Amino acid sequence: MAANAMARETLFALRQTIARIEGRASTGLIATAENPSRAELGAPVTGNPGQAVLPVGPMELDALMEGGLPLDALTEIRSAQLRDAGAASGFVLALSVRLLARRAAVSGPARVLWIGERVVAMEAGLPHAAGLMDYGLEPHHLLYATPRRLEDGLWLAEAGLGSGAFAAVILEINGNPRCFGLTESRRLSLKARSAGRPLLLLRQGGEEEAGSAFFRFCVRPAPAQGYRLPDGTQLGRSIGNPAFHVTLEKSRLPAPADIHLEWNAHDCLFFLARPDALSAGKPADFGAGFPASADRSDRTQPMGTILAFSRAS
Amino acid sequence: MGLKPDQGVAEARAICPRLDVITADEAADRHFLEAVADWCDRYTPLVALNGNDGIFLDITGCSHLFGGEKALLDDVLRRLFQLGLDARGAVSSTPGLSWAVARFGGGEVIADEDAGSVLAPLPVAALRLPEETVLALHKTGLKQVGDLLTAPRAPLARRFGPLLLQRLDQALGREDEPVSPRQPVAELSIERRLAEPIQGKEELLHLAGQMAMTLKSELEVRGQGGRRFELLLFRVDGRVFRIVAGTSMAIRDPARIAALFSERFTALHDDLDAGYGFEILRLNVLQAEAHDMVQSDFSGNGPVDTSLAVFIDQAMARFGPDCLARPVLQESHVPERASLLLSVTGMEEAVLAVAGRPAGSVPPLRAARPIRLLKNPEPVQAMSEVPEGAPMSFRWRRAQHRVRRAEGPERLAAEWWIDGEDAPIRDYFRIEDEAGRRYWLFREGLYDPDAEMPRWFMHGVFA
Repeated sequence: MAANAMARETLFALRQTIARIEGRASTGLIATAENPSRAELGAPVTGNPGQAVLPVGPMELDALMEGGLPLDALTEIRSAQLRDAGAASGFVLALSVRLLARRAAVSGPARVLWIGERVVAMEAGLPHAAGLMDYGLEPHHLLYATPRRLEDGLWLAEAGLGSGAFAAVILEINGNPRCFGLTESRRLSLKARSAGRPLLLLRQGGEEEAGSAFFRFCVRPAPAQGYRLPDGTQLGRSIGNPAFHVTLEKSRLPAPADIHLEWNAHDCLFFLARPDALSAGKPADFGAGFPASADRSDRTQPMGTILAFSRAS
Repeated sequence: MGLKPDQGVAEARAICPRLDVITADEAADRHFLEAVADWCDRYTPLVALNGNDGIFLDITGCSHLFGGEKALLDDVLRRLFQLGLDARGAVSSTPGLSWAVARFGGGEVIADEDAGSVLAPLPVAALRLPEETVLALHKTGLKQVGDLLTAPRAPLARRFGPLLLQRLDQALGREDEPVSPRQPVAELSIERRLAEPIQGKEELLHLAGQMAMTLKSELEVRGQGGRRFELLLFRVDGRVFRIVAGTSMAIRDPARIAALFSERFTALHDDLDAGYGFEILRLNVLQAEAHDMVQSDFSGNGPVDTSLAVFIDQAMARFGPDCLARPVLQESHVPERASLLLSVTGMEEAVLAVAGRPAGSVPPLRAARPIRLLKNPEPVQAMSEVPEGAPMSFRWRRAQHRVRRAEGPERLAAEWWIDGEDAPIRDYFRIEDEAGRRYWLFREGLYDPDAEMPRWFMHGVFA
């Protein structure tokens, strides 16, 4: 009996130590009494006291992340292939729009630093101001850096976090470079913690790699639903809001979790999307069909009566 | 020895068998002359090159710092001699007279009233005249400048051209001859001469910080702040290093100026070779702007948040001016010109904070635009319905994509006032392939039996 109690006390003490190292209060044996309701949208919710989080999207995603996106830690978002770079960039930009919206409410700096990577810029392109505006991000809120090497990008990330001039810093890297290992990611996560700003690590075309990120997402492109017409139906064969197939690979959950999201640029919110096929609706009017034949004969005339001339004018 | 300039190598070798022949390298000579001119910057900032082997220094107002004109001249010649150069110099009130005395005369300090008497015994070539004029003067028997001084002016001008009299007047001081310096003169300059040369980076930065503090009081008096700073480091063996750092906002704070140079040192640390040390440091303000005094509140923070300006200065000092950019909307419907990534070099905090579009304004009437645009459209091979259909499948970067849905076409004509009237029309399509990736393709040109086949390109990616 006493040994049992001793064992439980040791276990509890160990849990507390681990929780202190990880920077959050331990989830007690009784969960319900301490955790406040997480249904307040728009306000920073401290799901775990000691770590501020931002509720990002639908309730399901926030539940997976235990409250929301951590506001002072490194979060990794990766795309499996370089040709999915558009989807991953879109997801990260949507997260930045949510972070900026929160910053505007809390009266902080309304700016995001995006540290681009040369190879990814050559493969997938540079940010386009008109497209950013359509996506919900004002172009003058984005500062785009083009470092020549990865070390310069790491320095810019640290300086950007430390300066306190940005609501979020996005660091884009290509694949799994050797010079970005566990030490560098730990250093960046500690810098984010001390500066109190989120760092979004965008790994384009990379494999899963052990890092210091709290959460790691894998973003894959997903078919979008059509535009919604005012009477509720969808405009068939149209491409509506961008959709993502997001997998939460690294978290405190035992297994990776899948979720399909849709980004509404007008409301700047994520919604759950159903992964099924396109729903049938009214067919889109392309207007590219051939016009009906007019002023032509109904069958081919016998040869010899009419000659075809080349164009006279 | 019997060797003359313009002699052939064979003849010279015949006279002296063990002659060492080196090919003339004019570029290297010029480079060396520029290095010597840089070195002369320690005396005065107004240094000009003259020909291939001469340097003009305008020491108006500087001579008292070195103990007089004679002492300055002796110092220059002595140091050049110690650097291994054979130099001759002269100080006078006109460049022409100094040139003449340095090359053809004794090389000394000449007072204004002695100009005529010093110039008289010199040969006519001392007046910087072209060869033909000198030969013509010799033929007419005018071999010394003294002869020209006494001769009547109008016949001389008629016979030898106006240049002769111009040079004479310039030498005597009757006509002005400006000396245009190599580098623009700095608005403010603080110099520190050291008794012992220093090598370490921390010591250099410490000194730069101290000089910046002196600079601050000067700038405060003028009500200005500096935008571009230059740090000159004079090495003991004569080499001069110039380090320029710019900021996005006018600053006066010595800590920020020192931080700027600290970043520049880190960026340059391979190129900055201290050698045996630096003996003179100079901090110049190349560009200054009005900088209002702003009173900070009790917590020490000013009303304007300068954290972004500090970050931009740090990043630009370390990586150069092009590393940071902002996407900016332009008035154009051609996608390449509709959005530009403008570097933040010249933008001040106020401009950076300006909202792009006033709230409540009408969004532009156009189809959706991609979030990332390729710098140059890439060709794809597409199979599409003729004449105006969307592609059904396309091949991009050696990968085949089947199109599941397409929106379009959106016809964008070229801007005829920029691209010309024959520029092809583009039909843009928003494509989704079977995996869910969304692209922005365009077809350039129309299907016309006379014209060439239109081509398909990939321009951007959507989320």
